[in-house]
Amino acid sequence: MKRRTFLKVTGGSLVALFGTGAAIWSQMPVLPTRPAPDAQAAAGWISHKDGKYILTLPRIEMGQNITTSLKQIACTELGAAWNAVEVKLHNTSMQKVRSTVGSESIQYFAEPLAQACAALRDALTNGKTVRDGERIDPRPVGELKSFQRSAFDRQSPELVHGREIVTGKPLYAADIHRPGLVYGRVLRAPSSSEVTSKPKSWNINAAHVVPGFFGVIEDCGPAIGKATGLGIVASRPGALSLIADALDVEWEIDTHSPQSDIQTLINVDRHLNNGSLPHTVLEGPLQDSDWDINLRVDLSFASHGQIEPRAAVAEWIDGQLKVWAGTQDAFFHRDFLADHFGVPKGDVTVQSCRIGGAFGGKVPCSVEAEAAALARAVQRPVKVQWTREQELTQAYHRPPSSHRVKARLDNGRVSAWDHQQVSSHVIFTPFAIPKWLQSGTDLAVGDPGTARGMETAYQFARSRAQYQLERLSVHTGAWRGLGAGPNMLAAETAMDEAARIAGMDPLDFRLAHISDPRLKTVLERVGSIANWRGSAQRTMGRKRFGRGIACGIYKQVSYVATVADIILDDDGEITITHMWCTHDCGRVFNADQVKAQCEGNLAWSIGMVLCAGLPVKDGRVVAEGFSDSPVPIMSQFPEMTIDLIESSEKPVGAGETALMSGPAAIANAVRSATGIRASRFPLEPKELAL
Amino acid sequence: MSFVLNGEKHSIPAEWADEPLLHFLREHHGLVGAKFGCGRGECGACTVIIDGVAMRSCITSAADVEDSEVRTIEGLADRETLHPVQSAWLEEAVPQCGYCQAGQIMSAVALLEENPAPSDDDITAAMDGNLCRCGTYQRIRKAIQRAAEASA
Repeated sequence: MKRRTFLKVTGGSLVALFGTGAAIWSQMPVLPTRPAPDAQAAAGWISHKDGKYILTLPRIEMGQNITTSLKQIACTELGAAWNAVEVKLHNTSMQKVRSTVGSESIQYFAEPLAQACAALRDALTNGKTVRDGERIDPRPVGELKSFQRSAFDRQSPELVHGREIVTGKPLYAADIHRPGLVYGRVLRAPSSSEVTSKPKSWNINAAHVVPGFFGVIEDCGPAIGKATGLGIVASRPGALSLIADALDVEWEIDTHSPQSDIQTLINVDRHLNNGSLPHTVLEGPLQDSDWDINLRVDLSFASHGQIEPRAAVAEWIDGQLKVWAGTQDAFFHRDFLADHFGVPKGDVTVQSCRIGGAFGGKVPCSVEAEAAALARAVQRPVKVQWTREQELTQAYHRPPSSHRVKARLDNGRVSAWDHQQVSSHVIFTPFAIPKWLQSGTDLAVGDPGTARGMETAYQFARSRAQYQLERLSVHTGAWRGLGAGPNMLAAETAMDEAARIAGMDPLDFRLAHISDPRLKTVLERVGSIANWRGSAQRTMGRKRFGRGIACGIYKQVSYVATVADIILDDDGEITITHMWCTHDCGRVFNADQVKAQCEGNLAWSIGMVLCAGLPVKDGRVVAEGFSDSPVPIMSQFPEMTIDLIESSEKPVGAGETALMSGPAAIANAVRSATGIRASRFPLEPKELAL
Repeated sequence: MSFVLNGEKHSIPAEWADEPLLHFLREHHGLVGAKFGCGRGECGACTVIIDGVAMRSCITSAADVEDSEVRTIEGLADRETLHPVQSAWLEEAVPQCGYCQAGQIMSAVALLEENPAPSDDDITAAMDGNLCRCGTYQRIRKAIQRAAEASA
């Protein structure tokens, strides 16, 4: 089955399985439950008064700098000066918009915004206004000014919010201040959120003597998984940890058999020994024999590692709730909070704030509900910002995955391909749906998030891709690119190995399997800018040098190829010296910020291969800080050369694409330098030592 | 107890003395540029300059800065005129999510005041403790070089 068919079937089965009840859909924020906007909807984002315009951003700003690109489009269509358009972040009083996920801001929002702004410009020129609900007839895209100009011949304007960021102005949820504000935290048991836990007893007398102690709140919002918390409130944030220590809460934790070894639980070979895996992405008829390439690739858990721990400020006034939140979906939060606190949706307003990094991790309603519950209890505005330890132990993470990729070669070509994976949930997660419903999705449809990237872009005579999901005691969910990063790391290292066994250059070998002209172009271009063909294996003193290449197509719409150069020292420590990346996401509106997204994805690629781990013991996360779950640092960062294809194709997203090729390019460079085909990520330097 | 904050003398109220400097600055003084990232001195988002040295305000108490001079990102610009490092940050379009950038900028300012013409290795050594998850390090490096050239 081709991926497109697969997704269609998936969507249909889901409706059959869940029904279309709004209550259930509203609990599933990561599903595309809201249609892409049209020009009519976009008319609600732009308003005009006295020569000034207000653009209410229909997306969440979390570092994609979509605010800048959408403002550029608005200014171009309106014929307005940069300073004549003010951008505001939306709250839930506007018409509902989709979750900010999946790199969709340009793909689905650019043209409707351009249409609405063009209609407003025409109306103003004719001395009219565009009234709410007035019909907008979309014009041919070719007539939209913002779709005619090339982004490559002009500089980016100063980033929206750039000046506020470099001068320290309030932008993020934790920067909000309200009169009478106090500070809250919800303590939870040191156990897996799969296990029922609740506070049993605590030393309230000890807490009372901590300066700044304000109160202990038992009704502190919904459980996270099955972990019921105990709320504490203080007049200063620094008192919270002292109060937590003083309370010395004793927890009632259900007895359970912890998942002591999650890597064994998801070991792909263990599952394959018991028969075929249940979910199919590609169903080529294959015989299990005579494989020329037979590669095992395992990846660990990975945290998002965004620098901003999630935060919210909540305030109740006359039974109405206002929440300032850094969330990827203000509307989901509004509905969740209204449901949890039993108030009409119209009595809850969620104001979106700029997010200090989300990467798929800031969809669930957690800290917002905690702040709202504590604020209701103490009848004051409450600010809650998770500690780093809470981020690591209570948020969800990228699932670990275990892959077996096999290929057969005939006459220098791959004649059969097989990618088998065992992992955990990315879309149908414990955060998104109840366990009984997940059992249903496991049976019926699997998880398209986990499967993303298992479809292959290459022309293979026969190919099969199957996977299995294991519910884990450490909760998993969406992470930049969903399953595509790990799946493509496995597939593109296997492709590299196939080229070696076929005795062909890895770039030529890939080209020989590609029919898509856009994929061909990015591959050839990155080979050219990196001088791929002019390079050879070499050593620099005792240091080993290697280069690697990889490519991919993200969500069938955007194209990328990457080359990485690395050196290894005797101890197996890797220095990535240069990365080149050619990227095609169709029409580009702000070339500099598309490049910034590519740089970000290469940074995540470095993290995936070199450091992204998360320690788990007895079925729960035991990390406390960045030292336990590292993100790349400046000294691990190579020079990067980003090369964008100038295109008039339909514009699509750029926020995740380069994660399709970056990790494998580095891993393939390690193979070229050492002769070792790594099978576990992140890499262990000692396994690469001389 | 008192200290100098961005050139102005302020008292340190007794109830804030044991509080992390970061919270004192953000919640008492309303200077929210420095950010809470880890509370353990590992990420650098809370970096401020204390007596000329880039320090982690999340693991420094308010009482620790008694009689010291503290500079935050809010004190860098001269009214509307940005500090050369701030200008360089905008010219290189460094920020993605932006959350770590106040800390990055304060580390960069401290570096350039100590060493006006830093080498690549000097920049790496000074900045390696400031994490950026979005991956803006290449632009941070270029912005520091640009600011160094502008001030040369």
